[in-house]
Amino acid sequence: MNPSLKLAWVVLLALELSFTQVWTVNVVLIVICLALMIWRRVAIKRLLWLTGVPLFFASALVWSLTLQGSASHHFLIVIFTRMFVYVYLGGLFTQTTDPLTLTRSLEQNAHLPAKFAYGFLAAFNLMPKIKAEVASIKAAALMRGQVLHVWSPQLYFKAILTAMHWSDQLSLAMVSHGFVEGAPRTHAAVIPLRHRDWWLTGGSLVLIQVGLFIGLP
Amino acid sequence: MKAWHLRDIILVTILAIFMGVIFFVIGPVYTILSAALAPAGLQPLANEILLGIWVMAGPLAGFIIRIPGAATLGELLGAVVEMFLGGVWGASTLISGVVQGFGSELGFILTGYKRYNWLTLVISALTTTIVTFTWSLFKEGYASYHLGFLAMLFTVRFISVFLFGGVLTKLITNLLSRAHVVKNVR
Repeated sequence: MNPSLKLAWVVLLALELSFTQVWTVNVVLIVICLALMIWRRVAIKRLLWLTGVPLFFASALVWSLTLQGSASHHFLIVIFTRMFVYVYLGGLFTQTTDPLTLTRSLEQNAHLPAKFAYGFLAAFNLMPKIKAEVASIKAAALMRGQVLHVWSPQLYFKAILTAMHWSDQLSLAMVSHGFVEGAPRTHAAVIPLRHRDWWLTGGSLVLIQVGLFIGLP
Repeated sequence: MKAWHLRDIILVTILAIFMGVIFFVIGPVYTILSAALAPAGLQPLANEILLGIWVMAGPLAGFIIRIPGAATLGELLGAVVEMFLGGVWGASTLISGVVQGFGSELGFILTGYKRYNWLTLVISALTTTIVTFTWSLFKEGYASYHLGFLAMLFTVRFISVFLFGGVLTKLITNLLSRAHVVKNVR
């Protein structure tokens, strides 16, 4: 399925289900997402992780709502299943989409300006360097006997200086390699947006609306 | 008004990734704190105590980049980083990212993107708390808590957001303006 449409589908559903209270639809979505993830051969370890985490948080949330609030049984079931829907929808998306294809699709299909698409990609490719930089900032401080914590301004100060330095260099490098903001571009890899994608997205959304508003519990 | 250029886009993304990497260590703290508070039915409190750390990317990006949308984009990208680093909450992380980012953005909108001082950060902390709390009322069912408990959650959340998004952000930007990399606008 087209990554942009898939993203829109997942975000729209998560948003709508945050405001509606139909647990049967939640359960149906959980089953569908789980089936799709198994079909797409998501690792069993990842599936267990995706089940264990919401199980803990949903139980804790339901427990505190019972102790500290006045929620009905129906609402507790809705909240419990809702947490699983969030995690499974997100899991289905991240486990079946890679960031590069998503960015390409956002540029080509969703018409995100190229400067954003390539700017994001350029920065995301620095991820390993950024991890190493945080470690080296901490190590450098340790050599002077300073321990930098999550709440130490110095840690952020140094990280921000590096970020400014790198973004200057990276944008200059891209411009010197011929990147022009707003200029028309051709694409080496074309991400297809088929009629089938639209029908699947639209059709499933309509079905879910029917499920949400015909009075299921 | 300033427009987005390639350098700003790369800068806001790198900033978001830096914050994501620094905050990655907070994940286990959150889980332990949740587990410790859960038996007493106080698990939401873990969320409130740590929320300030997660929403910090917003005011920091807004303060440094000073282009409309910077706070929202910074926080949204932070959520994207978390999602692809292996966070489990997926789609709802993205929505929370936009909600939190817009919350702190409101602070900058209310001061017209002209004042970058204490007042902006305090307003931003307040709007972030109000906007994210409204979202929690629906999403996490906060609306069915007793009023007293709800008031406690709100207060803890505001203190957390104020300490990290306000005080810590101010300390960082003080260092930046002393180093002359960020203009100090009064």
